[in-house]
Amino acid sequence: MSTNDELASLLGRIALRDQRAFELLYRATSAHLLGVAYAVMRDRERAEDVLQEAFVNVWHGAAGFRSSVATPMTWLINIVRNKAIDRIRVGQAERNSSVPLDDEALQVGDDEAQQPQRLIEAGFLRARIDGCMSGLSAGQRQALALAYFRGLVHAEIAQTLGAPLGTVKAWVRRGSDRMRDCLRAAGVTSA
Amino acid sequence: MNLLQPERLDALAREHALGTLHGGARRRFETLLAGQPQARDALERWQEHFAPLAAVVPPVQPREAVWQQLSQRLRLQPAGATGWRRWLGMPVLGGALAGVLIGVVLGAVVLQQQPQWLGLEVVRDKLPPSYVGVLSNPEGKPVVLLSSRRQGRVLMARMLQPLPAPPGLVSRIWAFPEGGGAPFLVGSAPASGIAPMALPDTSERLFAKVERLGLSFEPAGASPTAPSTPLVVAGPCVKLW
Repeated sequence: MSTNDELASLLGRIALRDQRAFELLYRATSAHLLGVAYAVMRDRERAEDVLQEAFVNVWHGAAGFRSSVATPMTWLINIVRNKAIDRIRVGQAERNSSVPLDDEALQVGDDEAQQPQRLIEAGFLRARIDGCMSGLSAGQRQALALAYFRGLVHAEIAQTLGAPLGTVKAWVRRGSDRMRDCLRAAGVTSA
Repeated sequence: MNLLQPERLDALAREHALGTLHGGARRRFETLLAGQPQARDALERWQEHFAPLAAVVPPVQPREAVWQQLSQRLRLQPAGATGWRRWLGMPVLGGALAGVLIGVVLGAVVLQQQPQWLGLEVVRDKLPPSYVGVLSNPEGKPVVLLSSRRQGRVLMARMLQPLPAPPGLVSRIWAFPEGGGAPFLVGSAPASGIAPMALPDTSERLFAKVERLGLSFEPAGASPTAPSTPLVVAGPCVKLW
């Protein structure tokens, strides 16, 4: 993975219509970004569509990247995540959203590491906030993981975990508050 | 409900960054983002908080067809392409427009450098060997035209549209050698109109290996050795012979 400075420099060149910079950025980040889209969508072909859409946005909107407030990877990830989330929501509306959600969302097949709970633990470990996050209950972790990695909304998380909606909302809020505070304490984020 | 109340904004930003905001609320917040910097700031803060989670998602290598489709869709030049379009680093249309601009505007600039040409009855159909740069803004609109005779020691800067530096800053032109070599300062650009810049050496010696030219706003009186602020306009440096 390239450094933030390198990626920021590529985005600057892309804003000036530098095609080589665009290809370099794509080559450096597309596998990671497809991973992010795939985690939400669970469908490789649709995830690749989202990746392509996201890079069209990057080509036209690189000037909107502000290095003072976001790292290039966070900026790119959020373009991809938002598109993936929009796409699954459209898909859900088309399926009339009356199809009951079961615990399928938690069972993602053969790749154990893909499971949201495992991912969130790995995320805490990676950011060196696993100790700080140890005060979080299993429900809070699961709710946070299902929201972030699967793009589920509160009602879907409540159904998946078999918990009341109000409880799930509180879990998500407390879980994310705790995460923000732990990252600040660890000096990972300042805001 | 006042969505711009800081606590409310923070709550919406958190939900959007996490993905739990949906339906009309999600669309309304996204509308707010377009016009309210404080909404964007709140969102970007929360996106940074959740960023460590995205870092651990296993990568999935996209098929090569995804890049092929993407480059076709954006009409990018194939990586092996050579010639003017490649030099210019622009899509077909942008390249053609820049080509016309180089031809037309450069002609005017060169004539201003060589007024005796106007008296010539025999019209030359070939421009003298020169180095040319067309610097465009992020929207792709050409803003500065730079030109210098190959063996000349003067670089002409013609502002295709006014580009005044903010108070306390001056416009500096930079040259970026190919292969990622250290950039060097070429001179200062005027806010509008045309201005000559004296070069320390011939264009040939200075620009033979220069790939791109760019302009940044630098503090007046400072002597930076590299751009200290993002480039405002930039473009390829091409040999016109």
